Amino acid sequence: MLNIIDLSARVAGKDILKGVNLKVGPGEVHAIMGPNGSGKSTLAQVLAGREDYEVTGGSVTFEGRDLLALPAEERARAGLFLGFQYPVEIPGVNNVYLLKAALNAKRKAAGEPEVDAYEFLALIRQKMKLMQMSESFLTRGVNEGFSGGEKKRNEVLQMLVLEPKLAILDETDSGLDIDALKVVSAGVNSLRDPTRAVVLVTHYQRLLDYIVPDQVHVLSGGRILKSGDSSLAHELERRGYDWVGAEVA
Amino acid sequence: MSSSLQTSAPPQSAALRSFAAQWRARTLDSLSPLREQAMHKFLELGLPTSRDETWRHTNLRSLAAQSFVDAPHRGGFKMAASAALALLGDAGGAAPLLLVNGYPAMPMGEIGGMQIKSLRELSRLEPLLLRPYLEPLSDADSARWTLLNTALFVDGLYLKITARVPVPVVILHVAAGDGADSIAYPRVIIEASPGSSATIIEHHVTQGEHTPLNNSTTHIALGRDARLEHYRVYSTDAGATHLDSLYVRQERGSQCRQFTIVLGGGLVRTGLEARLDEPGASLDSNSLLVGHEDRHVDCVNIVTHGAPDTRSNQTARAIASDLSRVIINSKVIVNPGAVHAQSQQSCRGLLLSPTAEIDTRPQLEIHADEVKCAHGATTGRLDPDMLFYMLSRGLDRATAQSLLVYAFLADVLTGMSVAPARAAIEGALIAQLPDSQTLRKFR
Repeated sequence: MLNIIDLSARVAGKDILKGVNLKVGPGEVHAIMGPNGSGKSTLAQVLAGREDYEVTGGSVTFEGRDLLALPAEERARAGLFLGFQYPVEIPGVNNVYLLKAALNAKRKAAGEPEVDAYEFLALIRQKMKLMQMSESFLTRGVNEGFSGGEKKRNEVLQMLVLEPKLAILDETDSGLDIDALKVVSAGVNSLRDPTRAVVLVTHYQRLLDYIVPDQVHVLSGGRILKSGDSSLAHELERRGYDWVGAEVA
Repeated sequence: MSSSLQTSAPPQSAALRSFAAQWRARTLDSLSPLREQAMHKFLELGLPTSRDETWRHTNLRSLAAQSFVDAPHRGGFKMAASAALALLGDAGGAAPLLLVNGYPAMPMGEIGGMQIKSLRELSRLEPLLLRPYLEPLSDADSARWTLLNTALFVDGLYLKITARVPVPVVILHVAAGDGADSIAYPRVIIEASPGSSATIIEHHVTQGEHTPLNNSTTHIALGRDARLEHYRVYSTDAGATHLDSLYVRQERGSQCRQFTIVLGGGLVRTGLEARLDEPGASLDSNSLLVGHEDRHVDCVNIVTHGAPDTRSNQTARAIASDLSRVIINSKVIVNPGAVHAQSQQSCRGLLLSPTAEIDTRPQLEIHADEVKCAHGATTGRLDPDMLFYMLSRGLDRATAQSLLVYAFLADVLTGMSVAPARAAIEGALIAQLPDSQTLRKFR
């Protein structure tokens, strides 16, 4: 589904990604772990199509298409979703407007008619219930005045409504208490099926107790240094990251 | 007509000479002595130039070279159906009060809670009522055009709010010339009795090919505990030049919510001078200034806190695209003794093209202790993080940009309590944004 070959990228004149290789198949959940500044968020943003992040080498295909040739909005419509580490507040743009516009953009790209207003509201309410979000969400601006935890729930809510083929969740667990973490995890798990894939970018192993990954990768210094099954996450939790670098060297 | 004018040096510019000629042709009325003072002062000061503090960014040189005659007083004027944005839609209730080039074009009388009189009639029958509004103003350069209006207005509208007026009242100002370079002097006086309340919408439009220079002045005087929501909306054509001055005087406990909405015109200058002279008076001023094509918008607000426990809140939002330019000068003055005054100024500009320009300048002048005054001004482009967030959700770029522009203006729009007016204003606004078709769906 996603095939990243030797990807390099630069942010503000600084080389951050230095040859990333990663293959994600349908139905799989991958976790990308690594120390601060290792390039995890950069990788997520580059995949989503952030323009001021310059790709300097390598290739990425998504379901056989050249992902890097597509602008951000077309990547989204093709079924890629980025859950932001720091979701931006957009006062004045209503949450529901944005969700509806996003869903309709996706449907239009797929040649489907726009969603019926009544159906849409029913869908939102159902997903909001799953994410344990309050009704007031419906009338508020995008992430406006949301707590850190509410913003993350909102990211997962958007994901559930858009039903992407590939979800990249960038530190969706950070800043969540244990109850919120369970809710968010349940949301992500509800989307798991043999046709979809999830890439979890995370700092801590904690999330992976609730969303068990098929593969765990250690990203450090802009490269994937080590990959393994979910037991690698536990090892990282126990031993930290330093030994991985030492082992590779 | 006036000896003092005849002895003063001949006016320098063609425009001043033509204004002096208009003055000489006026017939005497009971207000002539006051008018003469105003005319004299105006000619002495001359047209504002870029050396005048509040005119630094607005160049009137081409106007100074023109000669102006009075805009026609047209009997039996018919409003073209398509000419005006219908601010109240079909839910309006009362018919609009129509002023054509400043002359009332409808019968005077009374609607629920409001008396409607013509200024010409009033100057004959009750000149004392008008005097306070025509007294010489400060020679602040922002008041220059009001002096000329005071000297030369022939007729206008006096509204006395006596109770609670249940429906919004629209004053439709039509500017319609007939060929020659002409000038109109619309004058409106709104007086609210203690405890009364109303919503008044002044809507400026143009009709026909020849648009007069519009030099309009409105006075608002709010009695004790009176409440007024006042709009002035400019949806004139692209060639129109409009110099508009609004004066607000508020007594104890009165509340004024004011909206200044520029959606049209070629050069639009909006002045607001408000005085909160008694305790508890409160003013909310909201400006929504849309620069489009080569429009030039110059907004000058001066709010003076003259008594303790007064409150003012100024919110200005400007967007500028193409070759347009928007200037916001907002100033709060807290006089000695006006303790516990509270004021807030928020000026924000959004540039939509590299060739557009926005200048914001909030100022504070505090002469009292224990006041709470805040001001902030920012101008920038669309936030790239917000834009990327929306693109990453699949929205196309034009829609995302339009939604962000619209959101930027939401602070002002959401404060409007007249729903149909707000909807009409939103509609006209959206039409001037990129990708307006898509955006309509999100209203």
